[in-house]
Amino acid sequence: MGWAWRTYMNRRVVPTEHMPHSYMLIPHRIWAYLILLIGCAVGALAQNPSEPTIVTAPFSARVTHLLGFEGVANNAGGTLSIQGSALQFQKSGKPAMELKIASVQDVFLAEQSREVGGTPMTLGKAATPFGGGRVVSLFAHKKYDTLTLEYVDANGGIHGAIFQLNKGQGEILRNELVAKGVRVSQSEDAATKQRTAEEVPSENR
Amino acid sequence: MKTGKRVSWILLAMAIVTIIFSPPRLSAQTATVKSSSGNSASGAVQWSVQVDKVNPGDVDIEPAFLVAIYENLVDELGKTKRFQQVFRDSDRTTGAVSNLLILKTTVQKYTAGSETRREVTTVSGATKLSVRSQLCTRGGQVILERTVDGNVRFLGSNLRATHNLARNVAKTIKQSALPEPSLSVPAHGAL
Repeated sequence: MGWAWRTYMNRRVVPTEHMPHSYMLIPHRIWAYLILLIGCAVGALAQNPSEPTIVTAPFSARVTHLLGFEGVANNAGGTLSIQGSALQFQKSGKPAMELKIASVQDVFLAEQSREVGGTPMTLGKAATPFGGGRVVSLFAHKKYDTLTLEYVDANGGIHGAIFQLNKGQGEILRNELVAKGVRVSQSEDAATKQRTAEEVPSENR
Repeated sequence: MKTGKRVSWILLAMAIVTIIFSPPRLSAQTATVKSSSGNSASGAVQWSVQVDKVNPGDVDIEPAFLVAIYENLVDELGKTKRFQQVFRDSDRTTGAVSNLLILKTTVQKYTAGSETRREVTTVSGATKLSVRSQLCTRGGQVILERTVDGNVRFLGSNLRATHNLARNVAKTIKQSALPEPSLSVPAHGAL
């Protein structure tokens, strides 16, 4: 009986001729490669730099008004945007203050490094034992762009306003203003000087 | 006994209330005296001032600093109440103003500081500014000339030096004796 069972087990249930044929698998692979290729091509076309995306949205960025803009408190945070022919600063929940771009006489761009964290950070540093606050100060700084505008009011009086923007945004705004006819002078020099000043301060420059 | 205790508690409460509310009255009296003296001073003919744009001179200074000094000067001079009106540079309305002084500011010295260095070392990284301030008449007579400093040594951003400087300039002008407008303007050779 046992021998008979082993005999049955040695038998092939499926004949050799009935194995899955390799030609049945090839079309699936080809289809898979084709799909993958098409997918890659579509992705590559979407990222092709030769076809730039046209940005029509006007400039708008979160900034800190350091000083000078008429009707806005110093060190006030808000949104600076270009609305048509006007530069607009809006603090949340307050009416927007506008400045005609045509009245802007000059734009200067610079870069500066400032401490982040505000009062809580200052208190935290003061409370850190063994002078650890100084070590924190080494790393608690962030680089910003500083955009300075010189503009005239209705009586011809000269005003100046300084805004602090995230790094890189100052240049975008400056370029937008230049595109609208604002004159730029010494901005590149100012940025370079500020960087130099931060790295190697010199006496009696 | 209970009534006596209650009376003493009431007296104590009244004493505390008196102590708490008496100092503001005193300060209010002081304020009244100050304001009355201020009113008597303002009865005289006052100068108006026009703040000119800051001249960088031979000093290599960032435009943001020049603008910040100018704006802070306009603000601080307005706060002094020393002048009838404070005008900005190139303001066309100054043509109608008779008693006008012109504040000319020239940067003499500028040391660029670093906020990071100030916070890490405490003793280095100060931003230092020194300017020569001149109050001139329309005819060009200098009636006041001072060299004023403004620094930020410990806390604050680099631009805070411009605020300190403007405050010092305004303080200097406030403490200085200016000639009477009616006397000094026609006299071209005086002072």
